[in-house]
Amino acid sequence: MAEERHLTILGLESSCDDTAAAVLSRSASGVLSLRSSVVVGQTALHADFGGVVPELAARAHAEKLDHVVEEAMTEAGITRNEIDAIAVTAGPGLIGGVLSGVMLAKGLAYGLKKPLIGVNHLAGHALTPRLTDGLDYPYLMLLVSGGHCQFLQVSGPQAFVRLGGTIDDAPGEAFDKVARIMGLPQPGGPSVEKAARSGDATRFALPRPLLDREGCDMSFSGLKTAVLRQRDQLVAAQGGVTEQDRADICASFQIAMRDVLAEKSRRALALAKGITAFAVAGGVAANQTLRQALQEVATETDIRFVAPPLALCTDNAAMIAMAGLEKYLAGAVDDMSLAARPRWPLDQTASALLGSGKKGAKA
Amino acid sequence: MPLVDALLHEAGKTASDLDLIGVGIGPGNFTGLRIAVSTARGLALALGKPAIGVTIFEARSYGLERPLTVIEDARRGDVYLQQFDTDGPIAPPRLMPWDRLCDLSGIARVTGNLRAEAAALWHAEPVPETVMIAEAIARVAEEKLASGADLPRPAPLYIRGADAAPARDYGPPLL
Repeated sequence: MAEERHLTILGLESSCDDTAAAVLSRSASGVLSLRSSVVVGQTALHADFGGVVPELAARAHAEKLDHVVEEAMTEAGITRNEIDAIAVTAGPGLIGGVLSGVMLAKGLAYGLKKPLIGVNHLAGHALTPRLTDGLDYPYLMLLVSGGHCQFLQVSGPQAFVRLGGTIDDAPGEAFDKVARIMGLPQPGGPSVEKAARSGDATRFALPRPLLDREGCDMSFSGLKTAVLRQRDQLVAAQGGVTEQDRADICASFQIAMRDVLAEKSRRALALAKGITAFAVAGGVAANQTLRQALQEVATETDIRFVAPPLALCTDNAAMIAMAGLEKYLAGAVDDMSLAARPRWPLDQTASALLGSGKKGAKA
Repeated sequence: MPLVDALLHEAGKTASDLDLIGVGIGPGNFTGLRIAVSTARGLALALGKPAIGVTIFEARSYGLERPLTVIEDARRGDVYLQQFDTDGPIAPPRLMPWDRLCDLSGIARVTGNLRAEAAALWHAEPVPETVMIAEAIARVAEEKLASGADLPRPAPLYIRGADAAPARDYGPPLL
């Protein structure tokens, strides 16, 4: 369905610890313009807990969402009546936050008499390069964040093939856990990267999990445990760790992570068919060491490398508006029966990597 | 939403006819409260009309003679409770174990979903509600709006804290 008129989509995101709203417009000729993207984080709220506490996150989303929507509309300079459709993350994610977002969106859609579009959070990340770099289908996407890690061949707004992914922890989760183990502040990504800068990456030999196995699947839980063992050995031997020990452990961990992601990317690029680019998204893509390694792999294979700006790499609602727009244009609109889903794999045909069993795959 | 839609349809109204959205803010099931509050706030934003939160204590005691104590089941052997005088609530609502209710005295009239049990314990008079809960919420919200007070947006009244334990690993001693 080719839409010949100007469209304005409101996007909503609340599936983890960021409450976000964005306004995206598409001109009649198809030109996209991101008119606002507001993200309110909850870092301070979870600081004492060493990770995101689902109930605390849900409580915050329920009381922030409408304010964030108003801010996004003001920033975009539009009134509520100019919204043509409402796109909302309907999963996968922490169900309390997802539910608050879906219900707020339903209230909005009902009150405004405008279509409601349920968006898969992962599809939002995966379609971001379409918004930022205008990529053509198909392309290879590495989604690497605090909650996810997977290689997706993206062939259309609703056509994803998962080439591989983590079978346990996500890389961002591993960074957070390493930070916690080493007594560094949360979120762990930036603090581990900072400590690693003055570290010797060759001092500790940490494992490169699953590199010896074929395919693109990954595992990071054992790497985190290896860091814990290394720390405990140091504490047992010298009663604690020095700043240098800490920097060396962080550097060794980061290099192990880099080696795994680079090699698995190399394999995914070999598997992907006729792609226009290799794109990364997710908060972990902000890590300079990792990003550089991925870029090098793309250069080796002569494939264009795309990394959206950080604000659109981490959780945001612009990507939800974008994915919503693509669904809207394809005529895939939801109604008031839209359900919030804690588990919602993008590639419904791939076998479960995580959380298999009665409840189905996580992502 | 289908329930709201059916209700409006039955009343021969549409959403844009609404001037005010009253919403029950609990206490109660955390997820259920967030569903109601988020929907109400979304509707309010769409319509440009206020949403007002009403506690279960305000709703249960609506239209009843005071002094009055409202007592609601909080599960896990606890109750939610608030006492009203003729001037209004005498203290904020609280959570307490059922076993401690015998410490309270001088309660003459009690309502809420545990009124029968509590009345027997206190030798008080159980008072049934006179209107259904949703109607009571709407009426209390209307009164609040008419009072002209500056009202916050509705937020769930949890009373019970979130189940969250601080991190156990504080990291190694730094040398």
